Amino acid sequence: MGIQEQYRSEAAALLSSGEVKLVIGFGAGSTADRRRPLFARTPEEAQKFVLDAACIANLSTYLVAEGLLSDGKKVGVFLKPDGIRSVNILISEAQLKPEQVVILGYAIESGKDVAALEGRNISDFSIGEKIRKLTPPPHVIEAAEKIEAMSAEERFEYWKEEFSKCIKCYACRQVCPMCYCRRCIVDVNQPQWVSTSSHTLGNFEWNLVRAFHLAGRCASCGACDRACPVNIPLRLVNYRMGKEVRSAFDYVAGENSDQKPVLASFKQDDPETFIL
Amino acid sequence: MAKIGVFVCHCGENIASKVDTGNLVKALSDHPGVEICNEYKYFCSDPGQETVKRAIRENNLTGVVVAACSPRMHETTFRKACAEAGLNPYMLELANIREQCSWVHSDKDQATEKAIEITRSLVEKVKRNNELKPISVPVTRRALVIGGGIAGIQAALDIAGAGREVILVEREPSIGGHMSQLSETFPTLDCSQCILTPRMVEAIQHPNIKVLTYSEVEEVDGYIGNFKVKVRKKARYVDMDKCTGCGDCIQKCPVKKIPSEFECGLGNRTAIYTPFAQAVPNVPVIDKNRCTYFKNGKCKICQKTCQIENCIDFEMQDTYEEFEIGAIVVATGFQIQDTTLYGEYGYGKYKDVITGLSFERLASASGPTAGKILRPSDGKEPETVVFIQCAGSRDPSKGVKYCSKICCMYTAKHAMLYAHKHHDGNSKIFYMDIRAAGKGYDEFTRRAIEEDEAEYLRGRVSKVFEENGKLVVRGVDTLLGKPVEVKADMVVLATAIVPQPDAKEFAKKIGIGYDEYGFYNEAHLKLRPVETATAGIYLCGACQSPKDIPDSVAQASATAAKVLGLFSREQLEREPVVAAVGESTCAGCWGCVSACPYNAIEQKEIRDRNGNLVKEVASVNPGLCQGCGTCVTFCRSNSIDLAGFTEKQIFAEVMAL
Ligand SMILES: Cc1cc2nc3c(=O)[nH]c(=O)nc-3n(C[C@H](O)[C@H](O)[C@H](O)COP(=O)(O)OP(=O)(O)OC[C@H]3O[C@@H](n4cnc5c(N)ncnc54)[C@H](O)[C@@H]3O)c2cc1C
Ligand code: SF4
Ligand code: SF4
Ligand code: SF4
Ligand code: SF4
Repeated sequence: MGIQEQYRSEAAALLSSGEVKLVIGFGAGSTADRRRPLFARTPEEAQKFVLDAACIANLSTYLVAEGLLSDGKKVGVFLKPDGIRSVNILISEAQLKPEQVVILGYAIESGKDVAALEGRNISDFSIGEKIRKLTPPPHVIEAAEKIEAMSAEERFEYWKEEFSKCIKCYACRQVCPMCYCRRCIVDVNQPQWVSTSSHTLGNFEWNLVRAFHLAGRCASCGACDRACPVNIPLRLVNYRMGKEVRSAFDYVAGENSDQKPVLASFKQDDPETFIL
Repeated sequence: MAKIGVFVCHCGENIASKVDTGNLVKALSDHPGVEICNEYKYFCSDPGQETVKRAIRENNLTGVVVAACSPRMHETTFRKACAEAGLNPYMLELANIREQCSWVHSDKDQATEKAIEITRSLVEKVKRNNELKPISVPVTRRALVIGGGIAGIQAALDIAGAGREVILVEREPSIGGHMSQLSETFPTLDCSQCILTPRMVEAIQHPNIKVLTYSEVEEVDGYIGNFKVKVRKKARYVDMDKCTGCGDCIQKCPVKKIPSEFECGLGNRTAIYTPFAQAVPNVPVIDKNRCTYFKNGKCKICQKTCQIENCIDFEMQDTYEEFEIGAIVVATGFQIQDTTLYGEYGYGKYKDVITGLSFERLASASGPTAGKILRPSDGKEPETVVFIQCAGSRDPSKGVKYCSKICCMYTAKHAMLYAHKHHDGNSKIFYMDIRAAGKGYDEFTRRAIEEDEAEYLRGRVSKVFEENGKLVVRGVDTLLGKPVEVKADMVVLATAIVPQPDAKEFAKKIGIGYDEYGFYNEAHLKLRPVETATAGIYLCGACQSPKDIPDSVAQASATAAKVLGLFSREQLEREPVVAAVGESTCAGCWGCVSACPYNAIEQKEIRDRNGNLVKEVASVNPGLCQGCGTCVTFCRSNSIDLAGFTEKQIFAEVMAL
């Protein structure tokens, strides 16, 4: 039995036994190589789940939908390691209760084979070690290094150019599991810290705010990058912030589910190069 | 409608010489909402304040901006003036056009332009200010003194003498600190122990002082008037209440060859020990790492010797005690610098190269040689002793940049003590400068030179080495402009005074600031020298900077006066600058809870009419909040605002620029 059949029947079993009220997985998409999220509430619906190498989205973002988990019931969800990492972050930020999430874990190997991951509860996945060793794909590192090699002025020009494309659609925010705020700072208009029209300054404000809000919280799932309709390489921003946080504070987001927020906690041996 | 009064101060020439105040007044008079705008030579003077008060009354002002100096200087002055004129004191802002403008600019036109912008921006802020009421919090009138050296003891005695309770925490088995190690003390040459031990005894017997030795502060929570402090009492393995201090156990302990820390390694101690004969309390401790029983599971000779049942208890564990505290005095003292920095001086290589502190032990009547100054290597009387001052101090390349302040004096003292005990001895002192400012100090060093024939050589030493069984000190005499070599029987290094090795970690633990070395920072070097920047935490003694006994004691008494001033009231008025959470947008991420340095944020449940949990949100306890704003900057969903510095106010300020 392939993993798709295996997970279909597991999802169906979870639903028919009443253990979970909903399973979030993937269904067929608009084209042959696209998958779209599928929300199964009955064992029959679970038969429509698809699981293959095209299932790349990070479904953990649906877990923080307002009210979904407030009844205390459980939800099943198909997650890759980056999704599991997101769940760790969300638990440590008190947005999820570990006992409410049943994980149907899978990994996509060498871009085509899908393998099941052992375990159902977040505590079954000790991913800390793996995350520490994780390196982004070569093309990301290459692109990042190119930007790092630029002078400050060149870099500014580069991002100005990129951010000037932003149309403030907030797709990046919508797709990000970590953007769970009920009211995002950009929507604050008393006072209006971030201007809403899409001109370069306002775009800068928005994208920088998001970069800081994700520092030490990004699970590197690449969802924002894929969501951006104008192809701003958002992943590079988050990658760089993650690198900063790691080198300064030896902190890697989502290693486990009881991390303290890196920008709101301190260790006695933290570097203090900015304090005289 | 806002009716703002703007008052532009000249501060004599301090502001007026660099800012065209006439132009400033003209520009601000036209600013929307400004009802009245005046200038005057000194608004902080009586007539100046009267002008402000009159303007408030006559024009029914709704807000006041005084364009003058830093709010740290006169905010209180003008707040009081506002209150007296019937305006809520928080409807006042100071526009700092002195420190942030006239003092730092030379171009008058540009400075004027900047002063106008600063003042305008504060006018925009004050338009959005809200009336605030001070918060009052209770004061626990009990002090914690950390460190039982002379500074800590003095502070404790002064506070206790005024009728307030004191908890004195010392991490060593006895109180006394470095002073208990000293022989005689400059500038009067009175015996250190003789003047110290009465204070130690007074402290331990004082009904208002609870002395906790062999104890450490584990946690400090809370804020001025309301600290919660957790103290760890390390297991002594000897029952404090039962022990009579007879010392039989010490006599019988088979482990006798442990170099005594108190004697700087010049003498030995046992595994069960009191650091020195006059220790207070006179109750031994067992050094777990050296005790045969703890190492091999066999011995307990001390227990068998002890006449009192269950007095020695090998099962004893560390215990914790919590205290409610109103004020904290930090008096954790100093260390001498590690001498291995100066390999060329041969410390550690030659037994007769010693530190000044070791010399104190040799010269001390209660020391390992009973006060005879003898060479550690062979116990012979040294005929020539060379003293090297600034062995680490004033040496940016290897040691520390600062002057350790006490070494000139104690080196002169050492030369004198040596001369008094060895009438034909020679002492030679290498020095950079003789710094002897203080009552009776210069006279003291003159006496060392003139009466006790200490020979001072101005210059640094490059090397100490051994030749034919004698130490040779090679240096320069800069006054003669010649290299010199002196044969010596003993060399004494005046090592630098440095902070305790754990000073920085400790500062972080209790929440106070420190300088690049680890000495604790005062709130203001000149005007608030015994307070830290953390309200309710005070400093005294050598933990702040190198100090001698007179300075440490004076500062300790000053600290006590501050603490007693705080304790003179049952309630403390606090600034109402506190944070509040917008519950509708709070996402309950608890980031602010972990960010708040004062643990002022709690989790709160929001329930609907039927009692069902809707969500959990953050909630600030205004009694604990210190208004630092950390949570405001952390909160991603922008759900926290700080009274007196609301986002609307700050935004208006920024946009006015
Ligand atoms: C060689 C030498 C000779 C000197 N001669 C003279 C002299 O002749 N005349 C003179 O006026 N001065 C002299 N001094 C200076 C004198 O020793 C100091 O001024 C004095 O000891 C300072 O007192 P203190 O209480 O600040 O610090 P300390 O004496 O260092 O006492 C600090 C106490 O705090 C304790 N402590 C530290 N950290 C903690 C903690 N975290 N928790 C609990 N307890 C803690 C320590 O164990 C210690 O008992 C001399 C100094 C030296 C080195
Ligand atoms: S998805 Fe792209 S275009 Fe849309 S708001 Fe984000 S960065 Fe801008
Ligand atoms: S960008 Fe920041 S404020 Fe906006 S939703 Fe994401 S985390 Fe919240
Ligand atoms: S940081 Fe903001 S969103 Fe998070 S708990 Fe605190 S107030 Fe709420
Ligand atoms: S302002 Fe915020 S972080 Fe600062 S003390 Fe108050 S609640 Fe804590």
